[in-house]
Amino acid sequence: MAGRKVALKAVDWAAFAERVPAAQRAMFNALKTRSDALSARLAALPEKPPAIDWAQYKAVVAKAGMVDEFQKKFSALKVPEPVDTQTDRINAQEQEAEKSSREYVEASKARIAHYEQQLQKLRSMIPFEQMTLEDLYEAFPETKLDKEKYPYWPHKPIADL
Amino acid sequence: ILHSRPLHTTHQRSAPLPPLPEKGGEVRHGLIPEEFFQFLYPKTGVTGPYMLGTGLLLYLLSKEIYVINHETVAAACILSIIIYGIKKYGADVAAFADKLNEEKIAKMAAVKNEAIKDLETAIEEEKKEQWRVEGRRFLFDAKRNNIAMLLEANYRERLLMVYNEVKKRLDYQVAMQNLKRQKEQDHMIQWVEKNVIQSITPQQQKESIAKCILDLKALSKSAQAAV
Repeated sequence: MAGRKVALKAVDWAAFAERVPAAQRAMFNALKTRSDALSARLAALPEKPPAIDWAQYKAVVAKAGMVDEFQKKFSALKVPEPVDTQTDRINAQEQEAEKSSREYVEASKARIAHYEQQLQKLRSMIPFEQMTLEDLYEAFPETKLDKEKYPYWPHKPIADL
Repeated sequence: ILHSRPLHTTHQRSAPLPPLPEKGGEVRHGLIPEEFFQFLYPKTGVTGPYMLGTGLLLYLLSKEIYVINHETVAAACILSIIIYGIKKYGADVAAFADKLNEEKIAKMAAVKNEAIKDLETAIEEEKKEQWRVEGRRFLFDAKRNNIAMLLEANYRERLLMVYNEVKKRLDYQVAMQNLKRQKEQDHMIQWVEKNVIQSITPQQQKESIAKCILDLKALSKSAQAAV
C-alpha cells in the first residue's frame, strides 16, 4: 500500500494571472482558490498511514487467532485507487481549445493585416497642403458629396451640416 | 531672391501638386516685378528702369496723352487711402487668412492622426490578445493538476480510513480486556476484604481492641517523652 508519487506539473500562477483578461478574473480566482484548497488538503494527509504494531497486539490481545486473522486480512486488503474519469474530457477540451484558439489567432492576424493596410494608406498620404479636392475624396471617400442622391446643394442631408 | 516658376515650359504635370511657394514673386514699389529690373540691368545699369519710367511719364504728360483732370485728383486720393490701408493692416489680414487655412488643415490632420493612433492601438491590442491566448496551456495544466491532487487525496484518505478502522477494532479489544481484568481485580479485592471482615469473630475483635489500647498507651508514653 505504498503512496504513489504524484505527477503534478508546476503551474506558474503568476504568469497565468498575467494572461487573464479582466473579464475572466473572477473565474480565475475561483480556480485558484479551488486549486489551493485541494493542494492544502493533499498536504495535510500523510502519504502512508503509520504501520500497525502487530507484535504488541499479539502479545496483549487474549483472544486467540483474532490478531492473526486481522493481520492476514489487512495485508491482503487492496485499497482501490480512484478511477480517473475526467482527464479524457480535459484532453478533449484542450484539443478544442487548440482549434478555436488557432482560428482566433488566424482571424486576429487577418484583422491586423487589415489595420496595417489602412495604416499604410494613411501614412503614405500626401500632405493636405498639396491636395486638391479630388485627392481628398480619394483619400477619405466619406467626404465625397453624393451628387446623384442629393442633386441640390448642399448635396447632403441638412442634419449633417 | 528670385523664384522663377517654370511657366508651362514642360508638357508633363507633376502630381501631386508641388507645394505652393511661401512668398510670391519679388516686386519693387508693389507694382513692378524684379525681373524687369534684372532684365534691363546689363544694358542700362541700376538707374535704367527709373529713367525709362520717368521719361515715359513725362512723355505722357507733356503730349497730353494722359490728361490731368478732376479724375486724377480722385484717383490720387483713393489710391493714397488704399495704399495707406494696405500698408497698415495688410499683414494682419494676411495672417488671419492664413490662420483660417491652417485651422482647416489642422483639423484634417488631427482626424488623420487620430485614425493612425487608433489603428496602432488596435494592432497592439490584437497582439496582446494573441499573447493571452498562448496562456491557455496554463489553464489545462491547472485542471489536470487539480484532478491528480483530488485522486491522490482520495486514495490517501481511503488508506487512512482502513488503518483507522482496524486500529479502532484492535484497540477496542485491548480496552475491553483491560476493563474486564480491572473489574475482576476490584471484585476479587472487595470479596477478600468482605470475607476477612466477616471472619473476624466478636472474641477476636475484643482482644484486638484491648491490644490496640495497650499499644496506644505505650506509644503515648513514648510520644510525651519525645515532645
